[in-house]
Amino acid sequence: MSETQTSIPIGKLLRAENSRFVAGCRVRELETPALGALVKVKLEDQSEIYGLITRILINDDSLVRQLVSGVSIPTEYTADNRYNRNLPVEIHVLTVGYTQNGHISHRLPPRPPLSLDVLHLCNSDELCHFTSLNEQAYLRHILRLLDQPVEELLAAHLRQAKAAHDAANDVNWYSLACQKLITLLRDDYQRLTSVLDVLTDLERE
Amino acid sequence: MEDQTLSTQNPTIGYVISGGLEANLDVRLTVPPQEVQEGAFVVIDSNNWRFYGLVTDLRLTAIDEQYANQLNSQRFAPHLAEYLNKQTLFTDLAVMPVLMKDNGPEVDSPEYATWRHEHTDDPAPMPVKTIPNHHAPVKLADQTDIADIFGEENNKDIFRVGSTREQGHPVCLNLDKFVQRSSGIFGTTGSGKSFLARMILAGLIHADHASTLIFDMHNEYGPDTTSSDTGNSVFGLKGKFTNKVRLVGLGAGTKFGNMPSDFNLEISHSDITTEDVLQLTQILNLKETSATTLDKLENDFHDNWFNAFMQMNVGGVVENEDGKMEPAPDSVAFWARQAGIHPGAAEALRSKLGRLFNRPYLIDAPASNGLKAIITALQDKRHVVLSFGKYDSELDYLLVTNLITRKIRDAWEQSTEDFHSGRSKTEPRPLVVVVEEAHKLLNREMASQTIFSTIAREMRKYYVTLLIIDQRPSQIYDEVMSQLGTRISGSLGDEDDINAVLSGLPGRGGLRGMLSKLQPKEEVLMLGWGVPMPIPIRSRRYDQQFWIDLFGNEQKTKTKEGILKALGMDDDSD
Repeated sequence: MSETQTSIPIGKLLRAENSRFVAGCRVRELETPALGALVKVKLEDQSEIYGLITRILINDDSLVRQLVSGVSIPTEYTADNRYNRNLPVEIHVLTVGYTQNGHISHRLPPRPPLSLDVLHLCNSDELCHFTSLNEQAYLRHILRLLDQPVEELLAAHLRQAKAAHDAANDVNWYSLACQKLITLLRDDYQRLTSVLDVLTDLERE
Repeated sequence: MEDQTLSTQNPTIGYVISGGLEANLDVRLTVPPQEVQEGAFVVIDSNNWRFYGLVTDLRLTAIDEQYANQLNSQRFAPHLAEYLNKQTLFTDLAVMPVLMKDNGPEVDSPEYATWRHEHTDDPAPMPVKTIPNHHAPVKLADQTDIADIFGEENNKDIFRVGSTREQGHPVCLNLDKFVQRSSGIFGTTGSGKSFLARMILAGLIHADHASTLIFDMHNEYGPDTTSSDTGNSVFGLKGKFTNKVRLVGLGAGTKFGNMPSDFNLEISHSDITTEDVLQLTQILNLKETSATTLDKLENDFHDNWFNAFMQMNVGGVVENEDGKMEPAPDSVAFWARQAGIHPGAAEALRSKLGRLFNRPYLIDAPASNGLKAIITALQDKRHVVLSFGKYDSELDYLLVTNLITRKIRDAWEQSTEDFHSGRSKTEPRPLVVVVEEAHKLLNREMASQTIFSTIAREMRKYYVTLLIIDQRPSQIYDEVMSQLGTRISGSLGDEDDINAVLSGLPGRGGLRGMLSKLQPKEEVLMLGWGVPMPIPIRSRRYDQQFWIDLFGNEQKTKTKEGILKALGMDDDSD
């Protein structure tokens, strides 16, 4: 991995379970993470847990509710509330795999990461490597989300991953991923056609 | 056991997904449907067993009908639509399993020795009694598979009749088995059945395991002719098997173009029995009383009854001593009165038999005994093509075929009895009687009267079988059709004809569609007892190459004869 390809820390863990976890960050740190991005948490035993960002949540508090209900808000108040508040931005992550002894698996980790573990944004090399393995089995984790617009999440993730793979001259990756999604979803006509509609839109952009 | 370790060389075309013995096997196709046709011969390997089956239907299916109901290529990006179609839209084959074979464990496996000890005979295909596993791979049969089932061409009794439609592998017919039971060649006009019949007859004559008697109603089989479709010359059997084939013309003066007949058949009046006449009841419109009259004639005149009856006149009267008119002594009425028959009935019969009395080939004392010559030739391992020449009416055909065949039945029954009783050490020569326009002889009304239904039913044990050539199998009596061992059919359009060809066979539903879709002049369906499993084939061409292939090395060894023949000094080409 080149120096310019270093993983970028984007937050620290708030809470976690095996299948998903939530990290917090400051608004100033929010420029980097994006919906569908591949992230990882490095554990004390040097193993890593991978996930996809499924949701970025900005919670309210009593102060912001007072401000919102005011007639006008001075600019400095808005900036202060956004950048200096003590409430973190929540980054919700869907666990999609882990490493152990250098081996990447697309199954769920035996244990979740711990609070205050650092969340990193994976670089292009890591993204290409992780998404190429195991016949893209990790995509099945996305499809089990029920409280999310899965089509949009898939489109966001595939767009980023396709760009990384195209840049690495792996032009087949996207086709294989599309075929994998069709295999996983072909018994659910409504869901699959929705996903393909989104992917078609993505390709026509 | 050469094929023990040899798996079919062809690639997998699909896998078994469901089905059963009764309902056929469903096979999901993994190649484009255009690579497989209805009637394709496929093999399915499952554990140690190899199953042989026939594709009887192809169906478009979908994992969900909604995928099929919309045009995916219009809704989605082209490559997404392509992937989607590939994974959700399928073609399923209906495969009728017919045979199976226990190939045993792999030769190099520890179990092989035990299995081989228990199975000392080489494995042979047997009728299917079980089914392959789910997901067993399905392949198109390769040349070895087809040879395993249909035999390997040896230019003698294992005779190539065509090739598979997909890959052109040779498909053979076991002529020995073919002649063991009566057989049929069917097809509409223009379906190529005459060429097919010529080809199989050439194979039979070449193999020389049975004699053939061909009733050649349309002068197609003996002499060389010209194809009505292409205008090309078509070789006859006489020209190619000069010494083996006797060309016989009915009546004096019957010719075959430039080719002379070996002899002409004239039938003595004394050879005609009342049974022969009764078999013409329908065509001569004989009354119920005719049987009694004929019986009396035979009683009174014995073998000479036909001639005696012919000599009687109708209506002749003389004046008696009392001055009254009474029947003349040479009149029918005079004889009838003496015989106790109603004169009117006898005169009516005499009048109706007038059509026979004036047949020029029926004469009182022929110069030679043509009937005996035919039987002798057949017993002497020759083949006879009887051409009807200008006597091609239905009456001629029915009379002559019945009469000759009755003589044959008598001769072969006698030979068989002599052989079985030990009076003769020579086994009777198997004989195939070839009947064209068979429905005229074997329709529901005639079958009970003609000798042919007896042959189809019973003569197998007397070494005589029929080869029926017909375009309307539905007109042939069911009981005769059900006796046909091997059936080879070109395309048939009529539903009744298709049902008739398939009568008494398993898996009729799947074969029915196949028969109606055969390509005229090109394809035929072989089925029945004489072939291990039904199979549609592209029939072998009856052309110059056919004869080169048939004679092959034999002609090379006859260089001298060939040269002599070319010089017109010898005509022996068989």
